Amino acid sequence: MSRTEYYENMKAHARAIRSKHGLSSLKVKKSDIKAIYKEYNIQYDLWPVKDTPFTAKFRKLRGAFFNDEHGTTIMISRSLPEAPAIFTMCHEFKHYLVDRELGSVLCSDYNLQEEIEIGAEVFAAEMLFPDDIFTELLTQMGVRKGLCNPEHLVRLKRENEATISYAGLVKKAEFLQFIPIGSFSKVKFTKLEEQIYGIPYFKKFNCHKK
Amino acid sequence: MNVIEYIGGRIRDLRTSYGEGEGLSQEALAKALGTTANTISRWETRTYRPSIEDLERLARFFGVPILDFFPQKETQIEENQADKQLNALLRAAKQLPPEDIEELQKYAEFRIARSLHKQANKLQAKRKRKT
Repeated sequence: MSRTEYYENMKAHARAIRSKHGLSSLKVKKSDIKAIYKEYNIQYDLWPVKDTPFTAKFRKLRGAFFNDEHGTTIMISRSLPEAPAIFTMCHEFKHYLVDRELGSVLCSDYNLQEEIEIGAEVFAAEMLFPDDIFTELLTQMGVRKGLCNPEHLVRLKRENEATISYAGLVKKAEFLQFIPIGSFSKVKFTKLEEQIYGIPYFKKFNCHKK
Repeated sequence: MNVIEYIGGRIRDLRTSYGEGEGLSQEALAKALGTTANTISRWETRTYRPSIEDLERLARFFGVPILDFFPQKETQIEENQADKQLNALLRAAKQLPPEDIEELQKYAEFRIARSLHKQANKLQAKRKRKT
């Protein structure tokens, strides 16, 4: 199987999981993935455990998958923010579906270039935001290939309450040729989102408190 | 002595020998862990069973491996297996920073401890049903 075939296969797996578990929107919550884990008897751990001193945390490790006599476990770094944590939960789920005979798989920034890791990234991105929906929504917005600008991606994410991060959206836009590779590398999406939709209430509240 | 009794005794031992034998009051330990002195007392007298997460926090506080809360007999085979697995895992993790490797090791031990903890709870529940 070629690399391209392998990645397409991973996307097909992700779409099948979306349809099997009723993930119909682009807003995927932690509880949705936890419910899927439960169905497959996967133990989910956030590490370190709650109320551990804040100095104890993973710096590079995002998550890990274990399958041995102590059960099938997915561990996610507690220090990850919400969206990357959900992405990593989907990423690790691919290891359960496809790579579980390997026993244990560690996932960090260091091994992202390995084929099974790229496969897991492709799977997670498709599970959160399928390519065909991405193309369809951008086309509905009147965006043609090669003519997408950062505002389009902000509107796409906001108006569909998409869980996937801006980094994930940019990768998708590059892959589907809506933008040239690397063209959005300097875009500050959060800032742009605040310019278009205003500063979120929690940020205003925090500023006010300070 | 069953595992739950062993855990209670181990908590007391670690608390009373804390700081080169100076010891620590139940109140001080409770404060450090964000719980009450009453809970510590009940763990030590085996009235309450500490959860596996409680044991993890205790292990971090006392600076001991979580498997220290389980009898050696129970952990020896598990530890040997864990060592093999952990070595394989750490070979894969050699590019990770030392802090991550340390956390990974703690997590691997936590998974073994959780298995032992579950077994002990099941055993105790069985015994209770018999009596």
